[in-house]
Amino acid sequence: MFDRDIWQEIFHSIRNNKLRTFLTGFSVGWGIFILVMLLGSVNGMQNGFTKQFNDDATNTIFIRPGTTSKAYAGFEKDRRIQLKNDDIEYIQKSFEKDHEYISGRMFRNTSARFKSETGSYNVQGVHPDFQVIEKTIVANGRYINENDFRSGAKVAVIGRKVAEDLFKEEDPVGKFVEFNSLPFRVIGVFTDEGDDNAERNIYAPLTTYQKIYGNTDQIDQIALTYNPSYNLTKALEFSGRLETILKRRHLIAPEDQSGIRIFNYAEAFSDISTFTGGLSFMSVVVGILILIAGIVGIGNIMVFIIKERTKEIGIRKALGAKPSQIIKLVLLESVFITALSGFVGLLFATGLLALIGPNMDFPAFSNPTVSFSTVVIATVILVGAGLVAGFIPALKASRVKPIVALSDK
Amino acid sequence: MIEIKNLHKSYKMGSNSLHVLKGIDFSVEEGELVAIMGSSGSGKSTLLNILGMLDAADSGEYVLDGVPIKDLNETKAAQYRNKFLGFVFQSFNLINYKSAMENVALPLYYQRVGRKERQDKALKYLDQVGLKEWATHLPSELSGGQKQRVAIARAMAAEPKVLLADEPTGALDSKTSYEVMDLIQKINDDGNTILVVTHEEDIAHMCKRIVHLKDGVIVEDKKVKQVRAQQYV
Ligand SMILES: Nc1ncnc2c1ncn2[C@@H]1O[C@H](COP(=O)(O)OP(=O)(O)OP(=O)(O)O)[C@@H](O)[C@H]1O
Ligand SMILES: [Mg+2]
Repeated sequence: MFDRDIWQEIFHSIRNNKLRTFLTGFSVGWGIFILVMLLGSVNGMQNGFTKQFNDDATNTIFIRPGTTSKAYAGFEKDRRIQLKNDDIEYIQKSFEKDHEYISGRMFRNTSARFKSETGSYNVQGVHPDFQVIEKTIVANGRYINENDFRSGAKVAVIGRKVAEDLFKEEDPVGKFVEFNSLPFRVIGVFTDEGDDNAERNIYAPLTTYQKIYGNTDQIDQIALTYNPSYNLTKALEFSGRLETILKRRHLIAPEDQSGIRIFNYAEAFSDISTFTGGLSFMSVVVGILILIAGIVGIGNIMVFIIKERTKEIGIRKALGAKPSQIIKLVLLESVFITALSGFVGLLFATGLLALIGPNMDFPAFSNPTVSFSTVVIATVILVGAGLVAGFIPALKASRVKPIVALSDK
Repeated sequence: MIEIKNLHKSYKMGSNSLHVLKGIDFSVEEGELVAIMGSSGSGKSTLLNILGMLDAADSGEYVLDGVPIKDLNETKAAQYRNKFLGFVFQSFNLINYKSAMENVALPLYYQRVGRKERQDKALKYLDQVGLKEWATHLPSELSGGQKQRVAIARAMAAEPKVLLADEPTGALDSKTSYEVMDLIQKINDDGNTILVVTHEEDIAHMCKRIVHLKDGVIVEDKKVKQVRAQQYV
C-alpha cells in the first residue's frame, strides 16, 4: 500500500496517459459532483421549509369552526359552529398539562385614521398569550397585557407598515388613532422580518372587540401551543383528543370533518420531513446511478489499459511477478484515479455550495450545505467505486499468460 | 542443472492437435553454454518456454537444480522464475516507460530486495554490460544492441541459476550480435549456465555445445570448440 515503487508505477502510467486518465477521472468526479450538489439542494429545500414555518411557534394548533356536513344529535346538517369564550376556558381546564399558551382570535376590518392619514387594515382581537404563539416581536412600546384584556381597554399594537402609513415620522406609541371612528391608544409597534403583509396587521384585546361588536362572547378561532416537551406522536395524540372532545361539546358527528377543523403544525412538519426525506433518498439514488455510470466507465478504460499493457504484464510475470502483485497494481491505480478525481469533484461541489449557499435565500430554498458525514460517506463510496471498477480488469490482468504476451509475433 | 526426460508437448488448435515436442531427453550441467538450433517451427521456443516455466509440458519429467518442476500454480511458478531463471528475448521486452536502471532493478523488486540495494545492484550489472552511463535513459533512447545488453543485465540481476535466451541476436546486425555474444560468453566464463536459441551457425559456434531440434526431437547433440566473439568486436 505504501510501497513507493507501486506509486511510482501508478504515476508513470498516469503521466504517460494524461488524456485517458482525465477522461476516466472526469466521469467519477462528475458523478460525485452531482451527488453532492443534489444532497446540498435537498438540504437547501429543507432549510427553506423550516425557515418558513419557524415564523410561528412550531408547536401551534389552530382550531377553526366551520359548517357541519352531517345531521347529528337531532340537528340538521349545514349548521354553523360558533366558538365562544367558554370553549377557551374549557380547554384550559380540561387540557391543563397538554397546552402551554392559548388565545382566541377575532378578525375584523377597520378603517383607521390619524390626523389626515387614513387606511384600511385587518384588526385581530387576541389574548395576551398570542404574542408568544405568533412570535410577535414588539420593536417599540409593549404588547397587550392582562390589564388591557381584563378591562377591555381601547389599545392597539400596530404593525410597522401601519405606523409608517399613518404616523409618517412621528412616534406612534401613546398617540390616539381612530378605528371606525373609535379612539384607540397605540401601545406598541411590532415588526415581522421578511413579511411586509404581516406588518399591515393590528392587534387589539379580544375583550375590547367583543364589546364593540355587540357585546358578544363569540370568537372566530382559537390558537394554542401544545406542551413543548411533547414529541410528534404525543402532539398528534393531543390534537386528536382535542378534536374528539370539541366535537362532542358542539354536538358534531365524530366523523364530520368540516364542523370543526384542527390544524396541528406538528402534522405539517411531519409531512414535510417525510417529503424532504423522500427527496434526499431520491437524490441519493440518482447520484448513485450516475456514480455507477462513472464506475462502469472507469472499468471500461481499465480493461482497455490492461489490453494495452498485456505485454508489460507478461514481462513482469516472466521476471517473477505473482498474480496477486499484478492485481494489487491494477486495483491501486484504479482506486487512486477514482479517489483523486472524486475528491476533486467533491471539492468543487462543496466549494460551490460554500460560495453560493449563503447567498441563496428564497422562500423554499435556503443556504444549501452538505454535512461532514455526507463527505465522509462520499469518500468511502469513492474508494469502494475504485475497487469495484478495478476488480474485473485486475483479474483479467492477473490471468495474462506470459508466453502469449511475449510472443514476438 | 537441468534434467528432462521424455518431454511431450502439443498445442490444441480447435479439433486438431499439433504435436510439437515428441519426447525430448536432455540434460545440462552447471556452467554449460548450449545453443539450440533447428528450423522454424521445430519447437525451439516451445522447449525454452517449458524450461522457463512460462508454459507447462504435457508429460515427461523436468528437474531444475534438483527441484522437480511439476503442477505449479501461477504464484509458485512466479517464485521459481524469479529465483531460478533469467530471460532474454529477441525483441528485448524492456518496459518502455522505465529507465534502463529501473528495468534492471525490476526482478529484484519482485525478490523483495530493498530500494537502495536494488539500485546499487542494477548499477553494478549495467556497469558489467558497459552501460552505466546510460542508467537513466529510457529504452527508446538506446540502440538495439544497447537494449539487448540492458535486457541481459536485467536477466542477470536476479542472479539466476540458468539464463534462457530466445534468439537474443535475432534483431541485431552481425557486429552488435557479436558484442552481445561476447557478453554472454563472459557471463558464462563466470560459471553461469546459459541456453541460447539461434538460427545462425556462427552464433551457435560461439557456444560450447550445439543441440539440433527437428520435428520435435533432438537429432544431434554435439560439443564444439568455442569461437570467442571478442576477436570480432
Ligand atoms: N501458443 C501456441 N498455440 C498453438 N500453436 C503454437 C503455439 N506456440 C507455438 N505453436 C506452434 O508450435 C510449433 C513450434 O513453435 P515454436 O515457436 O516452438 O517454434 P520455433 O522453433 O521457435 O520457431 P522459430 O524459429 O520460427 O521461432 C509451430 O508450428 C507453432 O506454430
Ligand atoms: Mg522461436
